[in-house]
Amino acid sequence: MGQPMRDALAQAWFSTLGEPLGKAELADIAGYLRGLGLEAGAQPLLASGWADAARLLRSAAGEWWEREEAERRRLEAVAHLDPADPDWVRLNDLLHGAAAVAAGRGGNDDPGMIRVAAGAASYAAYHHELALVAGCDGDHPFIRKYSLYAGGRWLLGVYDGRLAIF
Amino acid sequence: MADAYPQVKTTQDFAQQSPEYRNSIEKLVVSHAINELQGARVFDEPAVALAPHPYAKWLTCRVAMEEYGHHCKFFDLGRQIGIDEDRMLPEKTAKKPLSMFDFPLTTWEEFVAIKAFGDLAEILQVEDLLHCSFLPLRNLARSTMPEEKFHHDFGMQFGRELLKDPESKARFQAAVNRVFPVVPAFFGASRSKNNAIFREFGIKLRTNEDMRADYVARASAAAADLGLTLPELPAEMLH
Repeated sequence: MGQPMRDALAQAWFSTLGEPLGKAELADIAGYLRGLGLEAGAQPLLASGWADAARLLRSAAGEWWEREEAERRRLEAVAHLDPADPDWVRLNDLLHGAAAVAAGRGGNDDPGMIRVAAGAASYAAYHHELALVAGCDGDHPFIRKYSLYAGGRWLLGVYDGRLAIF
Repeated sequence: MADAYPQVKTTQDFAQQSPEYRNSIEKLVVSHAINELQGARVFDEPAVALAPHPYAKWLTCRVAMEEYGHHCKFFDLGRQIGIDEDRMLPEKTAKKPLSMFDFPLTTWEEFVAIKAFGDLAEILQVEDLLHCSFLPLRNLARSTMPEEKFHHDFGMQFGRELLKDPESKARFQAAVNRVFPVVPAFFGASRSKNNAIFREFGIKLRTNEDMRADYVARASAAAADLGLTLPELPAEMLH
C-alpha cells in the first residue's frame, strides 16, 4: 500500500457535509483562494444539502476552475503521477464508498451526485499528491483544499465571487 | 450439440489447460487491458476539460477512474495467469489499441456520443463474457458490468441535456454522425477464426457478426430514444 492510500484511509471523507465551518476551515478556504490569486474576503456559502450542492455544480465552471487547471499543468511539468496505479484505483473506490454513505445519510436522491462527489475528492487527492511530489509547502492551494476534503468537506467551487462548500 | 467446455475455476486450473485455451484467454485479457487504458487516456481524461460545468467535470473524473480501474483489474488477472506486463501496456507492446481510439476527440458533444454509443459496444463485449468458462474472467466481467452500464447511461443522460437546446442538439447529432461509424469495427472481423475458437472453448457466446448486428439494433433504439438518427453505414462495415 502506497502513502496516498495510507493517508486516505485515515481521513474523514464527506463526514461533515453541511456542518458549520470552523476557524481552521475558514483559514484553509482563505488560503486556498489567495493561493489561486482569487479574492478571499467574501463569506463562504455553505450548501444546505445535496440538492443545493447539485444545483450549484450545474453552474458554468468559472475562473477558479481555470486557475486550478493552470496550476495542475504547471505542477505536472515537474511531477508525474500515474492514474492507473492500483493504489489510486483503490483510493477511488474508497472515496466512492464514503460518498455513498454520506449521500445515504444526507437524503440525496440523485445517484449521479455520489459519483460526482467521488470524482471531486479524487481530483482533490490527485492535486494534493501532485503538490507534494512537486515539493510545494503547506500553504499551497491544493494542500489547503485537500485539508478541507480530509476534514469531511466538499469544496464546490467559486460562484458569483463566493466560495461554496458543503 | 457439442458438450459445453468445462468450467475453469481458478488461475491454478488455468495453468493445466491446453496451450490453445490459455492463448485464447490471454488474447482477450491483453486486449481488454490495453483498450481500457487507452480509452481512459484518449477519451475520458481529456474530456474533463471539455465538460461544461463542475457536475459534469467531476462525474467525468469518476468515469475516467473507473476505466483505469477496469484496466487494473484485467492487468492484475493477466499477471496472475502469467502474461508479461509489457504485453498489457499500449506504450510497451506492438499490439495496437482498437481503431476507435484513433478518433480525435475535440468537443463535449463527441465525448457524450462516445459514451452513449461507444460504451454501448463495450457493454455487448462484456455481456459476451458473462458466462465465460474461465471463471476469474467471467467474474471480472460481471464486476465491471454495472460501471459499463453507467458509462452508457452517462452518455444518454448528458445527451438528453444537449437535446434541450436546438444548437447543442445539432452539434450532438453531428457528433453522433462522426462517432457512430467508427464503432462497428470494435467487434472484429466477420467469420473470425479467433472468435470461432473462443466459442469452441466456451469463452464467448456469439459470433462477431451477430454481436455487430445486435449492436446496430441497440444503437438504433438508443438513437430513437434520444430523437436522433444514425448515419447509414456502408454494407462492408456490417458483414
